[in-house]
Amino acid sequence: MKTAPNIARVLGLPIATGITMCVVWHVAVTSGGVPQYLLPAPTEVARKLITSLPELLGHAAISGLEAVASFLLATALGFAGAVALVYAPLLREIFYPSIVGFQLIPKVALAPLFIVWLGTDSVSRIAFATFLSFFPVLISTMTGLQNADPNAVRLSRSLTASEWQTFVSVRIPFSLPYFFSATKVAATLAVTGIVVAEFITANAGLGFLILSSTPRMETLTIFAAILMLCFVGLLLYGAVSLLERAGRRWFKGA
Amino acid sequence: MTDAAGGFDAALSGGPDAAFIRVDDVAKTYDTGRTTIEAISNVSFQTAKGQFVAILGPSGCGKSTLLMMCAGLEPVTSGTITIAGQPMTGPRTSIGVMFQDSTLLPWKSVLENILFPIRILRRPRSEYIDRARALIEMVGLAGFEDKRPHELSGGMRQRVAICRALIYDPDILLMDEPFSALDAITRDEMNDALLDIWQRYTKTALFVTHSIREAVLLADRVLVMTDRPSTIIEDVPIPFVRPRTNEIAETVEFVRICSHLRGLIQHGHGRGQDKPGVAAIFQGNKVEAAR
Amino acid sequence: MSGTARKRLSRLLGARRVVAPLVFLLALFIVWETWLHYLPMSRAVIAPPSAIFATLVNGFPILMKHTLSTLIEIVQGFLLAAVVGIAIGALITISTWTRQAFYPNIVFFQLIPKVAVAPLFVLWLGVGTPSRVAFAVFMAFFAIAIATATGLENTKLETIRLCRSLTASHWQTFTKVRFPFAMPHIFAGLKVGMAMAMIGIIVGEFVTGQEGLGYVIMFASSAGESAPLYAALLLLAALGLALYSCVLLAELAVQRWYGAPFVSEGFA
Ligand SMILES: Nc1ncnc2c1ncn2[C@@H]1O[C@H](COP(=O)(O)OP(=O)(O)O)[C@@H](O)[C@H]1O
Ligand SMILES: [Mg+2]
Repeated sequence: MKTAPNIARVLGLPIATGITMCVVWHVAVTSGGVPQYLLPAPTEVARKLITSLPELLGHAAISGLEAVASFLLATALGFAGAVALVYAPLLREIFYPSIVGFQLIPKVALAPLFIVWLGTDSVSRIAFATFLSFFPVLISTMTGLQNADPNAVRLSRSLTASEWQTFVSVRIPFSLPYFFSATKVAATLAVTGIVVAEFITANAGLGFLILSSTPRMETLTIFAAILMLCFVGLLLYGAVSLLERAGRRWFKGA
Repeated sequence: MTDAAGGFDAALSGGPDAAFIRVDDVAKTYDTGRTTIEAISNVSFQTAKGQFVAILGPSGCGKSTLLMMCAGLEPVTSGTITIAGQPMTGPRTSIGVMFQDSTLLPWKSVLENILFPIRILRRPRSEYIDRARALIEMVGLAGFEDKRPHELSGGMRQRVAICRALIYDPDILLMDEPFSALDAITRDEMNDALLDIWQRYTKTALFVTHSIREAVLLADRVLVMTDRPSTIIEDVPIPFVRPRTNEIAETVEFVRICSHLRGLIQHGHGRGQDKPGVAAIFQGNKVEAAR
Repeated sequence: MSGTARKRLSRLLGARRVVAPLVFLLALFIVWETWLHYLPMSRAVIAPPSAIFATLVNGFPILMKHTLSTLIEIVQGFLLAAVVGIAIGALITISTWTRQAFYPNIVFFQLIPKVAVAPLFVLWLGVGTPSRVAFAVFMAFFAIAIATATGLENTKLETIRLCRSLTASHWQTFTKVRFPFAMPHIFAGLKVGMAMAMIGIIVGEFVTGQEGLGYVIMFASSAGESAPLYAALLLLAALGLALYSCVLLAELAVQRWYGAPFVSEGFA
């Protein structure tokens, strides 16, 4: 209502800004004589991305698959956990303080612990990324299940619906928007978790590629790998957003 | 004879203050990029100094738009607005505005909220504190000076908003459905309070409402607007003498005027639709809900 | 008789909100300790609570040194990110143009895995404090900038109109109305920012491997010594809680000034 939502402007302006920044970066690097090992020009990065695409894709596939697995595990476990905690008061009272506590402490610090426990292969990385992205899903879904419109719940009760029927037809639909917005957070966190775990232990994957190129000062490789990782992250995020849109539409249509 | 009635006489006799607010052929079209909304097609009216004019119409018909243009907060698409002989170019301090929402600042006390315009206008605060206290007293909020807005009821908040609009003594008061978020009982109280305030501080007022009763109770004239693109279809004088109380609502004359206004709004003045009144109100609600 | 028993039981359960988690934790520690006592596992994997406690006591000076290093760096990173984030958030909302030009780009950065660039900071700024703090600022300021911009944009149209009707200048509207109104959003952003600054410093310590609790954790895990690892994790948890509480306290103070309760913005 504030301003005319002009599509060309809304899309064009940020893209133009992005391109301008790349041009400034390019000019600064090429004319300023910045050494390539500190900051390569964007064109160099693009060339590197194309020339070593097969290698990058190989690493991306590893990181990407692990991130997807973690994401799926985290959302499934988060949702199931939320249902369990909402319906079992004793469980909730035991675990809820720890869950809130976990939200306040920096969970990334636990990455080495997962490696100590589960070894250095992908199981530990997936477990860590799942752990990282599980909490937002759990907490949001719990909030959603508990915040179902009380009048809708009352209506359902007055129709002598069973607890299960109320759950399926009232609470779940009301919690879906909360669940879906948390899945988007989880998507970003899953990739973050995999990257951090790969920093610590891995012999493949984009995080490994980035960190192992650092001592060799292969900045070009680092930039290309980061770019690749952005693609992976955005792909996952985009897929989840599409699913969310479909879910919301279903929610509204139902 | 009260000032308000004097203003009314001035309007009739065409004296110097007869066209204190002058709206000439004003139209407004919103351009949202995809579509254009013709909110107001052609509106002209004038108000004498000291007159209380209500603008009545279904929601979504462009009442707020018209008021915001009079306040200099929205540009007109065509036409001119002249206030006190000067063409409208932008906001000016001789105009006070009140909204449906009290728009109080939650972190300021009642007193500080009322003094907010003084701070913005960089006027000496000490000169206005007594006036602020007097206003608080008048609207019946004595003792609440240091309370925060969230500790007040909706009606009390609107009383504070009235005080805030009066503190810097503007000549004109523009009110956009100031009481329509209140419950019916509080609303009656606020109408009484406003009648009372009007008795003491006679200002020129435009008062937007979609309550027929409120319009007739408060105003010297009621301008009836139709659905979009809207114009003023009738200018109804309200003959009750001041000071008024809400007891006039019991009179036959009051009921007669109300039913006349209701007829005007419902029939949308023969716009060639089957049931234009219902359609207009329904459409208005939809617009309201969508925003 | 069964009635009184039930009453007593329910009174007992009334306290369970507090008791249950504590009992659970206590049971966990006891099981943990006895289990390891009878069925020793590799010391690299899990240490008994008693060993962790011993490490905390014996290694106190050295652990404190690393804790202090982490603490100072997190605070530096957070404060810098707050200043930079609020300033950028305010700058991009100066006009519709700047907001439309920059806001989507900043949101875009929120969606990509930012931790990945940690090694770049090492490359640019070395393995010392500057690179970790800079990385933490990079991690944290986006959330703060977005929250600030959102808050500044969300001031009610009618309130802005009120200011304009009083012929308030842009600066007056900003300082007296829009910025205070953005406070709840800004604090929501600061809370996320604090979490991000912690992540930044810890990942930075992982990558640079010089000092700090993150370094201790990494070092202990690769040396196959789990007691220092758990001790460092405990300290880090305490640090996290303390820092987060500071932000909450600041929020509480501002909330008191604000008068009305902040509408909690949903953030995960
Ligand atoms: N800023 C705006 N941009 C586009 N359309 C608007 C804007 N403001 C109001 N409108 C439209 O103009 C019409 C009149 O609105 P308004 O003046 O608020 O009506 P009222 O106050 O009578 O309910 C409505 O259809 C509304 O949707
Ligand atoms: Mg309106």
